[in-house]
Amino acid sequence: MAAPPGLPPPEELLKKAEEYLKELEKGPWPSHVSEMRKTGYPLYVYGVGLVARKSPWGPSVVKTKRLTGVLARIARDWVPGGGEEVHFRVFNTPGKFYPTDYLRKLIKISREYGVGLIEAVGQTGAIVINLKSKDVADKMIDALREIGTDVGGSGDAIREFNACVGPALCEFALYDTLRWFSEFKKDKRVHDAIAVPGLPYKFKIKFSGCPMDCARANRADLGFIGVWKGAPEVDQELLRKKIEAGEVDPKKLEADCPSGAITWDGKELKIDGTRCKKSMHCIRTAFPAIKPGKERRVAVLVGGGTKGRYGPKFGWFVGYLKPDEVKKAIDLTFKVIEPWDKEAPAKNRIGDYILMEGLYKFIEKAGIDLEDTPKLIEKLPDNVPYRVLSEAERVKFAEFAEKVKQMVKV
Amino acid sequence: MSAIELIFPVDVEKYLPEIIKRNYGKWVDRKFHGNGIIEHISETGERVFTVKVALPPNARVSADTLEKFADIADKYGVGALRITTAGNVEFITDSLEKALKIKEEVEKLGFPVGGWRGALWGINTCTGFLTCQIAVVDAVSIGKALGDALKPYFTGEIPLPAKLRIYVSGCPSACAGGIGIDIAIVGMWGAAPKIREEVLPLCLPPPKALAKVPETQIFLVQICPTGALTLRREGGKIKLVLISEKCINCGRCKDNCDAFDYDPKDVGVAILVGGRMSNTGSGPRLARNLVPWLPANPPKYEEIVAVVKHVIEIWRQNAKPGERLADFIDRIGWAKFLELVGVPRITAEYMYWPDIARTYLLYRSRGEIIFRGLRDAP
Repeated sequence: MAAPPGLPPPEELLKKAEEYLKELEKGPWPSHVSEMRKTGYPLYVYGVGLVARKSPWGPSVVKTKRLTGVLARIARDWVPGGGEEVHFRVFNTPGKFYPTDYLRKLIKISREYGVGLIEAVGQTGAIVINLKSKDVADKMIDALREIGTDVGGSGDAIREFNACVGPALCEFALYDTLRWFSEFKKDKRVHDAIAVPGLPYKFKIKFSGCPMDCARANRADLGFIGVWKGAPEVDQELLRKKIEAGEVDPKKLEADCPSGAITWDGKELKIDGTRCKKSMHCIRTAFPAIKPGKERRVAVLVGGGTKGRYGPKFGWFVGYLKPDEVKKAIDLTFKVIEPWDKEAPAKNRIGDYILMEGLYKFIEKAGIDLEDTPKLIEKLPDNVPYRVLSEAERVKFAEFAEKVKQMVKV
Repeated sequence: MSAIELIFPVDVEKYLPEIIKRNYGKWVDRKFHGNGIIEHISETGERVFTVKVALPPNARVSADTLEKFADIADKYGVGALRITTAGNVEFITDSLEKALKIKEEVEKLGFPVGGWRGALWGINTCTGFLTCQIAVVDAVSIGKALGDALKPYFTGEIPLPAKLRIYVSGCPSACAGGIGIDIAIVGMWGAAPKIREEVLPLCLPPPKALAKVPETQIFLVQICPTGALTLRREGGKIKLVLISEKCINCGRCKDNCDAFDYDPKDVGVAILVGGRMSNTGSGPRLARNLVPWLPANPPKYEEIVAVVKHVIEIWRQNAKPGERLADFIDRIGWAKFLELVGVPRITAEYMYWPDIARTYLLYRSRGEIIFRGLRDAP
């Protein structure tokens, strides 16, 4: 970007930048500037950017042995003194747990080859480490490999996955998100798609253990959310105890249910499984007296994302998997990617492609055939008042009529 | 396929602390001990306490601070900590005394403890001017300014009706986590981008090829979702021009080519409210545009802080307990909410349409067919 009009001369600019930075160090909230003062990050460049109200960084390149996960910037020509900034996206551990010995190793690498600055979590889910200079890039990769992690996940590739904490710390997890996270990464095809950018645009995969969606799988290109079918399980005995102890107010539970599925008759709490929208409200309030149902599933969503041709959107539901079908999920990933990779123009997210093709066409092209996959043919007759029915369909309704006849006993 | 062999940290067991390994998948209950401390109870009877600590905006921490965190985790915790997607850090320990001790220690270092239940859970920001070349406002310092003003909501000094989370993004790419959240602050160009003619040729085919290639094959024309970027013949030369009336400030051209520039005086932020990812209440939805443009004046951003605080206060004072901002707006209605906030009533269509529908239905590049499914329908 060009220099903004009316930029003060270099010395005055730097002085003003310092004033701005000092201002950002005040206040009760932890300050990023005070943190960066302790590191070798070229802070004056950031300050100049604040004064100019323009990003001080321009594009740059660095040659390493990695094709993804390496990003380099160079200061614009109007920044006095110039400067460069190189950073790596480093893979996170499952659940983002950091044993202190592992953390100390990361810190050591960050001090030795980097400027001592770490972004603990980026929105992709990766950890970001700033480098000292371009020359140490390969050395840093070797050091990171030694402690069991690596660099990757940027550009038009599969990005770092994001999984919620799942069964490691949460009682609501409906499937093992961390196991899925690691099984996905163990797959060779996934590995290749992370290492080499070859897709039309980025592709993000996220795993959420329950409908509360802490990992934000709703806006992933491919999201997996734990759900159950039918009504939540109610342990009437335990619930009565909880009500007597004053922990749960059944009337309030009934009134607050967003789907209106709960009825309380003074003795028993009943939940209508057909109406239940899985909002988790009763479960959160009365756990473990009310638990998610036994019939666990993983809902698959395709096509969410923020950055893309048509703007921010949520994913489309394309079917259920069972909690142990992780291998099937990996196959599904590449089924979903295939038509998009082949046909979509560059820089179009999979959601944009689905919008152009139509969801049913996309499902057909990708060959998605899961439990409850939406299909155009399966539209209910009440949506289309009159139409030509196939023989098989008419037989189905004839059978239905026969059944009703038996029931009503005409 | 490739010669690159990446090493992934995939061994779940290796990174979990012992106490969590023993109780993996066996949790039955949780209890809250003030803001930021949560007790997980396992069916084996063991208890784990997590302490949620806010990190600086953009989760930028120095190695020195992380080392201090590691020391605290070793001394009072179980030798491990966890980083959350929301950019907070959670210390893990096995007793309430130790949890309180951790709280005391990190507060001494200047990091507030809070979050959970009816509180601000954290402020996510994109990298802003720290590394990004596309950002139009510095989301990181906006995050800092908001944090300073909203700290009481985080630590629980002022309780809120329900969970609140704020994302601050430097441009419409919304890298801080999209706009599906209670309050999203998104950097806006304010005016159509200016083209830097001296850099533009780098993003286009050579002039001779440009004269021959059909317009729809030019990359920059392809990526513009509204067809604002087109080729024009001017004095025997083919030029790329930007029709500013068609531009919707999505920033996709800037994403892909460095030739697009802006004037800082036009730049501001949009404030979007009432989004959510979770299926609680009436389900996930994207936030709605409340204020399309506000000035962004570093380093204090008084205007943005004031508006955000005003919105939170209206919600806090009028909402029922447990009602998130989205549910609150649903209950009272968007018109009433606008009246309570007192923003000028805007009749432009984009205030009422979700972003996606706006770009998808209203605009298209030349020659582009939207929804092939319709065209090919039998």
